[in-house]
Parts: sequence; C-alpha cells; structure tokens
Amino acid sequence: MTLLLDVLTTAVILYGVSAGLLIVFGVMKIINFAHGALLTVGGYAALLVTALGLNPWWSLPFAFVAGALCGMVIEKLVMRPLYSRPLDAILATWGLGIVIGQCITLAFGRGVQFVASPVTGAIAIAGNEYSEYRLLLVPVVLGIIALLAWGLNGTRLGLLTRAVIMNEELARSLGINSALVRFATFSVGAGLAGLAGALITPLSSVDPNMGVPWLVSAFMIVMLSGTSLLSLGVSCLVLGGAQVMVSTWANPIVGGMTIVIMSAVILRLRPEGFGRG
Amino acid sequence: MAELPVSTPSRAATPVVPGPSRQRRLVLPAALASLALLLVLAAPELLPTYLVNILIRAFLYASVAITVDVLWGYTGILTFGQSAFFGIGAYAAGLVFTHVGFDTGLALAALAAGAVVAMIVAALVGWLAFHPGASPLYGSVITLVLPIVVTQLLYSGGNFTGSSSGLSGFESFELSIEAWFRIAGVFLVVLTGAAWIFVRSDAGRILEAVRDDEQRCAYLGIDVSRVKVLLMVACAAIAAVAGWLFACVQMVVAPEYAGFVFGTELLMWVALGGRGTLIGPVLGTLVLDVSTSYLSGALPFLWKLMTGLAFVVVIIALPQGFLPALLALLRRAWKLPAAAAALPPVTLQAAEPQPLSGLQGAGHYALVVEDVRRHFGSLQVLQGIDFHVRPGELLSLVGPNGAGKTTLMRCIADGAERSSGRIWLNDHDIRRLPPHACVALGAGRKFQNATVFETLSVAQSMRVARTRLSPPSMLRRATELALPAAALQVMRATGLDQQLDAPCNQLSHGMKQALELAMVLALEPSVLLLDEPTAGLTQAERTLIGRILVELTRDHALCVLLVEHDLDFVREISSRVIVLHQGAIVLDGSVDDVVHSDLVRNVYAGGHAPVAGAAS
Repeated sequence: MTLLLDVLTTAVILYGVSAGLLIVFGVMKIINFAHGALLTVGGYAALLVTALGLNPWWSLPFAFVAGALCGMVIEKLVMRPLYSRPLDAILATWGLGIVIGQCITLAFGRGVQFVASPVTGAIAIAGNEYSEYRLLLVPVVLGIIALLAWGLNGTRLGLLTRAVIMNEELARSLGINSALVRFATFSVGAGLAGLAGALITPLSSVDPNMGVPWLVSAFMIVMLSGTSLLSLGVSCLVLGGAQVMVSTWANPIVGGMTIVIMSAVILRLRPEGFGRG
Repeated sequence: MAELPVSTPSRAATPVVPGPSRQRRLVLPAALASLALLLVLAAPELLPTYLVNILIRAFLYASVAITVDVLWGYTGILTFGQSAFFGIGAYAAGLVFTHVGFDTGLALAALAAGAVVAMIVAALVGWLAFHPGASPLYGSVITLVLPIVVTQLLYSGGNFTGSSSGLSGFESFELSIEAWFRIAGVFLVVLTGAAWIFVRSDAGRILEAVRDDEQRCAYLGIDVSRVKVLLMVACAAIAAVAGWLFACVQMVVAPEYAGFVFGTELLMWVALGGRGTLIGPVLGTLVLDVSTSYLSGALPFLWKLMTGLAFVVVIIALPQGFLPALLALLRRAWKLPAAAAALPPVTLQAAEPQPLSGLQGAGHYALVVEDVRRHFGSLQVLQGIDFHVRPGELLSLVGPNGAGKTTLMRCIADGAERSSGRIWLNDHDIRRLPPHACVALGAGRKFQNATVFETLSVAQSMRVARTRLSPPSMLRRATELALPAAALQVMRATGLDQQLDAPCNQLSHGMKQALELAMVLALEPSVLLLDEPTAGLTQAERTLIGRILVELTRDHALCVLLVEHDLDFVREISSRVIVLHQGAIVLDGSVDDVVHSDLVRNVYAGGHAPVAGAAS
C-alpha cells in the first residue's frame, strides 16, 4: 500500500515538475534548461512567504507569479532570437539558469533553508502512516492539470496555442499572432515551474541548486512524452513507478538513474516515446 | 543561361592568381605552434607558482575542450558528455593507484585501461545516440545521460570509488610542477596541432558536411553513424588521456570531474572562445579557468554570474564566439582580405572510371522492383509496384500529385522505406540496407529540393561526394580533384568549374541543382534517381540538363529514373514512361503509348477510375 502511494505521489510530483517544460517544448520545440532555475525561484518564493509569516498556501500563487514574471523577461530578452536555433537555445537557457542561480545565491546565501509546509503530520492509511503533504499533492496537481487542460481545450488562447503546436507556419499565415502565443506559453510554462518549485520545497529543502536534479528528470520525461498532457501522465506513472520500485527493492542511487536510463532506452527503441509520434 | 563551351579547362586557361604555395601557407601555423611550444617550455620559470598550478589544470581542460569543439563546432554534435570520459581516465588512474599501487608500469596500464574503457563506453553511447534516423536532440539527450550515469555509479561505489568525496592521497609520479606544466603544455600544443591538421584536411570536410546536411551525406554513400561513432570514440580516448594526466598531477579525483555540470562548462568555454575554430576554445578555456581561479575568491558569486551572463549574450548575439569576432575586427582594422582566400587552388582531373565498384559486375537489369508496397498507417501510398529497367534506359515516372512517385524513389534508395516487396539494384537485393549501403549497390539519388552543403565550397562538396570511391586524406588537402566524366561534363556545361571556390550558399538555385546533380554523378551510380531535377530552372537550363541526361544514358549505359511533371520535357528525353496513379502503375510503355493514351489524359484531368476505357 505504501509502495502504491509512493508511486502515485512520485508520479504526481514528476508531473508537476515537468508540466511547464512540456508546455514550452510543445509550442516552441525548445528545451528550456532554465526550468531548473525557475523551480528554484519558486522554492525561494515559498521561502519568502514563510519568512513573511504568511499562510504557507500563499506560496503557491506567489511562486507562480514569480516564475511567470521571470518567464516574461526571459522570453522577451533571450528566447526571441533563438527560436530558429533550438540547440543554441538549450545552451543559452542553461547559462540563464546559472545566472538565476547566482542571483539567488547573492540574495539569499548559498545555505540550505527550510520552508513551512501548509500541512504537517501523517495520516493512517491501511495501517501505515503516510505523509499528509505528499497525499495532498495528488489533488493539488490534478487540479493544476485540470486547469491546464481547460486552458488548452476550453479557451481561445488554448485553441490558438494548439494551432501553433500543430502547424506554426499555417497558423501564422492564418493571422494568428504566434509571437503572442509563444510569449504567453513561455510565461505560463515558467509560472508552472515556479509553482512546482513551491510544491516540492516542503518535501526537501531550499538551496540555490535545488532545481538541477529535477531539471534532468523533467527533461527526460518530456522527451519521452512529446507534446501531449496525457502521454506526460503515462510517462510520469511509468518512470515514477520504476524509480520508486528500483529505489525500494534495489538501491536508492540506482533508483536515481532509473528515469534517465529508461528514457534513453525507450527513446532508442521507440523514438516517439509515449506520444503518438 | 546560354550553353557554355563544353571543353573549358577548369583553371589552366583562366588567369591564375598565384595562390600561396603549400610551404608559405604552412609557415604561419608552424611558427605559431613553435612559439606556443617555446612558451610552454620556458614559462614555468617565469610565472608565479600559483599560476603554474592553475595553468596545468587549464591545459588539460583545454585539451578536452578541443574534443568538444571537434564534435560540436565542426560536426554539430552537441555533447554534454565529454566530462564523463575525462572522469573515466582520471578514475582509471585514481583507482589503480589507490587499490593496486603505483609504479610506472601500473601507471601506463591505468592509462591504457582508462582509454579503452572510455572508447568502449563511447562506442556504446555512439551506438545509442547516432543510430540512423536519430534526431540531433536525441543524441544530445544521450550525451547528457552519460555523465549522470557515470557520476551515480561513482557515488554508489562506496569505498572503492570513494563515493562523493572521491579518491585522494594516492601516490603518483614524483615530478616537479614545472615538469608537469611542460608535459601538460606540450600535450595541449601537440593535440591542438593534430586537431588543426585533421579538421583542415580533406577528411575534415566530411565533418562539416555531416553538420550541414546529414541526409545528403548518407545519400552520397557516407555512413554517417559510423563517422560519428568513430569520432566520438577518438575524442573519448583523448579526453581519457587528459583525465589520466589530471589525476597524476593533482593526485585527487572526484565525481564532479565526470559530471554533467563540468560537461556544460566545457561547452561554455568552447562557445565563448569560438566554436569551430580550435584555437578559440583553447584560449577560452585558459582565460576563463585562470580568471575564475583568481577572481572567484574576490567576487565569489558575482564572477560566476558574469560568466553565465557573458555566455548567454554570446550565444544570442555572437554565436560564433569571441575569437572569430575579434579576428574580423582586426581584419577590418588592417583591411586584410577574408580568410577564404587561403583555400588552396584546386585543379579538376578526369578520374579512372570505377563503375559498380565493389560489385560483381553489371546485372542484366539495372533495377528490379517487385511487388513493392508502402503504407503510412492505413494510407496505402504504393500498392504493389512491379517493373524492370535495363541499363541505358531513361525511364520517366509521371502521375498527378500524391501518386506515390517520390515515395517510390525513396523506397529504391533506402531499404528501410518500403513496407513490403523486394528491390534489386544491379541484381543485388537491397534488403533493409540504409541509404549509404544502397549507394554502394549503385543508387544515386538527387532530392526534389536542391540540397547542397551550405558552408562548403563547390570543390569541397565534390570531394565529399567522392568520399566513397577515393577516401580523402586525414592529413592534407589535395590540390587535384579527380571526377568521373559525367560529373565533369555537368560542371563544365553549367559553368560550375569556373566557381570551384565559391561557397555553395552563394550559388543560384539553378547552380545548386546542377551541383547536386554533379555530386550524385560523382558517385558513379548505375541507377540515377532524379526527383524533378528541372524544378525552378529556366527553359535553357532544362534543355541543357535534358541533353546531359540523354547523353548519360546513351554513353555511360546509365539507368535513369526521372520524376517529372513537365510532360513536354518527359516526351523529349524519355525512352520509356511509367504512369503512376493512386499508388499503382496504370501504364508502362513508350512515349507514344503514353501520349496517345486516353487513360493518361483522364488521370491528369482528375478522373478517379484507373481503369482502361473509363475515359468519358
């Protein structure tokens, strides 16, 4: 039972962490390597909320806004010239990640800090104690997914975004302002990264490089998922499940490699991953 | 375009500007290399000890940066993983010295072991990352996975690998730091020189061709995956040697040296210095690593912030890096000509014909297509195509858009394309062979859009096209270019032989079409697959290409398969016509048969029933 909960919550966390990257990759075909740094931004936004003594729940909207603001600036200043050079964009966003990480270090110091959790304690499920916060993540992330799905499928901007995902040339020739769609997408993607950063901080701690390990997992999962929110869910369940099981039954360090190795092999055998290609 | 005299000699008759002789061209690089060697040998006496220490490390990092530049700057493989090979070399020394002991023999054994392990890992990584059809992004993903896996393994190695703190305190060569400085410095200078010779050699052009257009390379008979894997293996060995030296000097190894962050740092140095310049990455690494050592104490986080910022700015605004930008500035200041003038002059020659090289001889049929089918999901694009073509036939494939003409061409030149059925080229079954192997069986395919190597010159492109039949030198640049008669004929007729030094991206559309045709003919194919070779050309150019094709089939017994929409053009040059409609052959006969067929008229007028007699 604990194992099952572990799988579920791990998958949910991975989903939250990867969603922003997926949205950006889907629309722009660009890997945002600053995603890890944006997670960190979210983590520190949560830290600020704690420091101000506000209700920890405030950290979620606050982190989203902080991430989205960073995203807006990045899109305007950095991403625009790089849309035609996707491999260079990886490098530039990685450099940007360093810049953001160093700014955070300058402002907050390099030490490890802790954030207040909105809920603490454990809950008894089927005779086992389980962390209440981890469980709470499930409905929270599902809610975010539902919002995203609604945003993509139920709004006009979502419709335009899907048009740009499918065929940008055509969308542009039909008069869709793809620059605006890109701007909005990148901002939302960055916002989601910030939000995810705030969500994961109560589980661990906050430090200027907290985003990097998450970035790699999220990157691999997005490679595997293509551009669909549904296949992202499948990838997160499969890889999160594999990671939990390997960590439980073999050893946690090997478990840490499960996601990257499995993704690499699956992509070798099936280049379209879990997406429909 | 007027027809040019066919017999124009390439260079001899044109007023030749005396290019710098081979000796003169080598003077400057040789002088620079000697100067660098002298500096490296003399410097440790003059520099402060701290700087000497830092520079030893920087020299070794710069050696790895060179391999990153060859892979990324020249070949276009964005790799995050060279750090892993550096780490493997370093840990080979660290592990042997810690657990076995130290003596010179053991040290050399560790060096060999590190290099071999690195090469095996590189071959494995290459097999994963560069399989035919792998996207460049996937290749980068794999090179990203590699250092992560290596560091995790090091972490989980317990006392054996020293886990997160690494290994230290082991014995090593008892040399002064001045001696180490000289060893590392000479290693770097020699490596830079060797890399410089290699990337400027004729073989080095293949790297750039792969970077420019991998697909075109494959259809020129170059095994792109093999090229990349071999390059990866060689670069891994070099990085491992640098890592081994590092462990011997520093007497400490740690997982960070194999990690992904170090891998990206290497990329940053290369990008800042100037990718694809070799010297730029070396200088970039030296300057950045040394200044980081001095400044990170005074400005702990600010310095890293500034380098990160500089990196982002360079990637956006100066994608070629600092060195090329600096050189361009200097050149403008002294009004020097651009570097392109340094290319050695090339003279064209006729090559010994090697038709069907490697095959047992021409078959009875040049091409046999038997029940070939191709479907994409439920969409049937080809439904059972059967035909035979003899050498010397000029067969045109006609049919409305979506009839499956280009798909059929693709199936003939790439064994992996068709869903079922069999194809023989010169009586050799193509099975599931990849494009470069089909080239070896005699296929030569020209694409629908003119595809040329944008950054190469005309002569360099032609030499890349000859890779399979006359392998290029890895050391020097030949001044003669031997081409088969057919390719020479196309070049002379179109005037390409007057523009041998012109960069391909400056050619007109018609010239690009002609160059691609010449490149394909340089393969000495026996089955020439041409997909709308005259699209976008003027009437005069069409006539010219048509005449050349007729001569090729007549004089060289080539089998030409032509996809064309222009029925007048088809009528003029074809010896046989196949009409495709909705993925099936509706007519196979002479030009007259087709011209007088009601069926064909019906097909082109938009009829839907591919049945004889259905004409209204």
